[in-house]
Amino acid sequence: MIACVSIPGLELKAALRRTPTLALRPAALAPEPQGEPLIGPITAAAEALGVRPGMRLGEALATCPALALVEPDAAGAEQAWEEIVRALEDAGFAVDPASSGVAYFETRGVERLYGGLEPALKRALAAVGTEWDARIGAAGRRFAALAAASVARPGQVVVVADEELPQFLAPLPLTLLPLERNRYEELESLGVRKLGQLAGLPGGAIAERLGPDGRRAWSLARGGTAARVRGRRPPAAVYASLEFPEAIGNELALRRALTGLVDKALARPERRDRFVRKLALAARLETGGSWRRTLTLREPSADSERIRVALAPRLAELPGPVVELRLELVELTESSGQQLELLAAGAEDRTRLREGLRQVRASTGSGSVCTVVEVAPWSRVPESRALLVPKDE
Amino acid sequence: MVSGSRVASVAGTQGRVARFNAPRAARVEANASGFPVEVNHQTVAFLREEWRVVDRWWTEEPIIRRYFELVLESGENTVVFHDSTGGGWFTQRGA
Repeated sequence: MIACVSIPGLELKAALRRTPTLALRPAALAPEPQGEPLIGPITAAAEALGVRPGMRLGEALATCPALALVEPDAAGAEQAWEEIVRALEDAGFAVDPASSGVAYFETRGVERLYGGLEPALKRALAAVGTEWDARIGAAGRRFAALAAASVARPGQVVVVADEELPQFLAPLPLTLLPLERNRYEELESLGVRKLGQLAGLPGGAIAERLGPDGRRAWSLARGGTAARVRGRRPPAAVYASLEFPEAIGNELALRRALTGLVDKALARPERRDRFVRKLALAARLETGGSWRRTLTLREPSADSERIRVALAPRLAELPGPVVELRLELVELTESSGQQLELLAAGAEDRTRLREGLRQVRASTGSGSVCTVVEVAPWSRVPESRALLVPKDE
Repeated sequence: MVSGSRVASVAGTQGRVARFNAPRAARVEANASGFPVEVNHQTVAFLREEWRVVDRWWTEEPIIRRYFELVLESGENTVVFHDSTGGGWFTQRGA
């Protein structure tokens, strides 16, 4: 069985940890500073008053004037998600985090450990904790597990057997499918609103009308393909942070801080001389929110200058003054050595060519291998432009 | 470079410098206007271009050639010239 842990509105829940009283009032995650003015996840109180996630900010405030906007805390949400995934891993599950708030794992390896499927899934819920309102769906296929998790209530486990899958999926909404917004609208205009209706259409017609994405969605509506879930490689926990006595927005000062952070992170003993493959730069903003960017280096490196040059342009993306800057070495190489080239690039080709020419010379005699030397490339007489010079070595 | 040309093999066997793209004598049939109609027993399918090269006229060995770029019946592209000083037809690469 494949299980899917789902925590809807994780970003909002993470942001609300700073102001827990808002959780009981109508509140929504504020739009991203440079993004479209669309609100994020909302609280149950806001939903009761008619606010919907993804609404335009103006519309949401018109619907519910008392709506409180919560500053997004991207770094906090990511950190919280990482803690949840680690808690699941500590409980023995090989987790594949698909996105923030959604993770998959196979139960086969742990069913015997916990005494069956249901106890194993309950153990997973316990590992996540009650504060996140997690829910778990389990089925033979990945998409079906996600669909099962989407109908489960907080703290509930829903298991769908293979034989019940078509009946289970049929009444579920199309929004479960990974489609673009205009595709949903297109399908709705055709009268297709449920997974069962989509699954009942001919695959060829769907592919023709909606392209490869539509075909994939059609396949998912029929349960999706059977594929195994591979657990992730847990990221390295090497980081360095710098807290400023007062908020700074000056890029020069931030660059200096970054230089210090890179050196500090690389000097951490947990790195154990390994090279850095992937990094994350996070900041706590003066406004209370947070900011985070990840970066994968073109090739693993432990060169502080190189890492600093790669990270520096990200500082320009900071939306405001920061009170804390944090550098995480997210992924490190396994080895601490780096294989250098014994021969320069192309050296092998040249060696082989030289060997081949020696062979030709040996079979046809001295002077059979020549070099073309240009002497008068401007000449109108072709044979005057270049000479053949014997090349005996 | 490994040359398969006759000139290269001459250079090779004698171990001395030779001209690159030296002319090779060719068997060319021409019509009354002097246009080639057959090159080395292959019929000319198409005449692509014609030009003249006059050089070293100030020396005792002037060069006066009439070049033709041809497409033979086999599809092969070739360049031939008629040597107006010494007479005779030649094929030449790199022209």
